[in-house]
Amino acid sequence: MELNIKFMGETLVKILTGIPTTLEITFFTLLTAGPLAFLFAVARAENRKVAGRLIAGYVSFIRGTPVILQILFLYSLLPSLLNHLIRNVLQLDYNIFNWNPVIYAYVVFIINNLAVLTEVFRSALQTVNQGQLEAGLAVGMTKRQTYLRIIIPQAMVAAMPNLCNSTIGLLKSTSLAYMMGVKEITSIARTAAAYGYDYIEAYLDVFFVYLVLCTVVQLIFKGIEKRISVYKQRLAG
Amino acid sequence: MLEIRNIHKTFGGNQVLKGVNIKVEKGDVVVILGPSGSGKTTLLRCINFLERADEGSLDFDEIHTELKNASRRTVNKIRKKTAFVFQNYNLFQNKTALQNVMEGLTVARKVPREEAEVIAKEALDKVGLADRYGYYPSQLSGGQQQRVGIARAVAVRPEVILFDEPTSALDPELIGEVLCVMKELAREGVTMVVVTHEMSFAHDVANRVVFMEGGVVVEEGTPRQIFQSPREERTSQFLHRVNRDYDYSI
Ligand SMILES: Nc1ncnc2c1ncn2[C@@H]1O[C@H](COP(=O)(O)OP(=O)(O)OP(=O)(O)O)[C@@H](O)[C@H]1O
Ligand SMILES: [Mg+2]
Repeated sequence: MELNIKFMGETLVKILTGIPTTLEITFFTLLTAGPLAFLFAVARAENRKVAGRLIAGYVSFIRGTPVILQILFLYSLLPSLLNHLIRNVLQLDYNIFNWNPVIYAYVVFIINNLAVLTEVFRSALQTVNQGQLEAGLAVGMTKRQTYLRIIIPQAMVAAMPNLCNSTIGLLKSTSLAYMMGVKEITSIARTAAAYGYDYIEAYLDVFFVYLVLCTVVQLIFKGIEKRISVYKQRLAG
Repeated sequence: MLEIRNIHKTFGGNQVLKGVNIKVEKGDVVVILGPSGSGKTTLLRCINFLERADEGSLDFDEIHTELKNASRRTVNKIRKKTAFVFQNYNLFQNKTALQNVMEGLTVARKVPREEAEVIAKEALDKVGLADRYGYYPSQLSGGQQQRVGIARAVAVRPEVILFDEPTSALDPELIGEVLCVMKELAREGVTMVVVTHEMSFAHDVANRVVFMEGGVVVEEGTPRQIFQSPREERTSQFLHRVNRDYDYSI
């Protein structure tokens, strides 16, 4: 078997145009799900009974079902549900099937990563010992002040490795957005390959692009971690 | 100045404090002795509301409150009149020694930064850490960390400092430096309530010793009374036990 090198090169260039979409989904999802997940994690750490249980239930439900199933389910359910709502309940003449499918991708990934990140932040908060919160209260700071100035900065450092892992996981799982008709890296490659059945070449390109993207993400997180964890480093001089 | 009456605290089914009374006057050094599990830590924690007592009242200068339902405002007021030195230091790991001491001034008491820095440096100088302002807790020895803990407590000029076994997490050779700082504070007239197993400190520095066991105060008096002529059988048994351990450890 021989690889169609020329096709590989051309496809790689095409695939590169899908990178912004992939990155957009990744970062917008992180930006939306991240802060909310942090609040969820604090609510759980603070033993808020009702909220804590609800969040725990949500997390185990989402983590206990395959992403692919969530996509299939939401993508077949949500559009027709919304359509029904708009046409029959609100009585509007509006076609939601014109919407950019990327919206559904966002919904799925946000729902999913909210659960993942809640767990990441929860375990990160647990690594900061309760004693520092008490010390903050004992010097007269409020709980809120102590969280903002003492607990959260340290929890962020502890969260970095897992945050990096989940970001990479998210980045890779955005390839599933092709199932929802989003034109991102994987779907562009599949479209290109379908013409001349050059799937191997196209997928090799995809491998390569994800590998580079994930490596860059890892480097970025390493850099951030190093910057915000100065207080952990032993004296070097 | 500070008086706590009839304090009760139960954890689950475990009654830890069964009606303890404590009175502290300005300039007092009150040492609380007692076997493990007698409720000493819990008592201190109830005073500044790290733990909510089930029953009992507290008078602190002009403040009078029931411990159980003290308002958030009252709690905050009392916390600002007290400071706590923890067994395992509990320094803010993401802050330098200087920042650890400044935090209670700038954040909790809204002292201007420059002024806070002067006060904090003074406090660190006093505990012998003038050359460690910029060090993070992870870069300090246990004894140095605990001295930062004491500086953090001293800097906010509290009316009373509560010490919970400040030396028991330390290696023996580091205990001396911390006790030395505490003795100096006592000499300056700082009011302190100290839970400790350091009998020499109790003997030399305290003006009142309280012996607790099983969630009650068994006996209290001057160090001389408690160490030389305890009235209660349980007190003398405890002191014998401690002294025997002490002798063996030499
Ligand atoms: N948060 C808590 N939850 C449940 N039980 C607790 C809690 N804190 C303390 N206890 C229990 O209360 C009892 C008294 O504890 P406390 O720490 O006050 O004793 P102590 O006199 O300080 O002992 P030590 O000398 O070992 O420090 C112990 O039996 C302990 O198990
Ligand atoms: Mg204790």
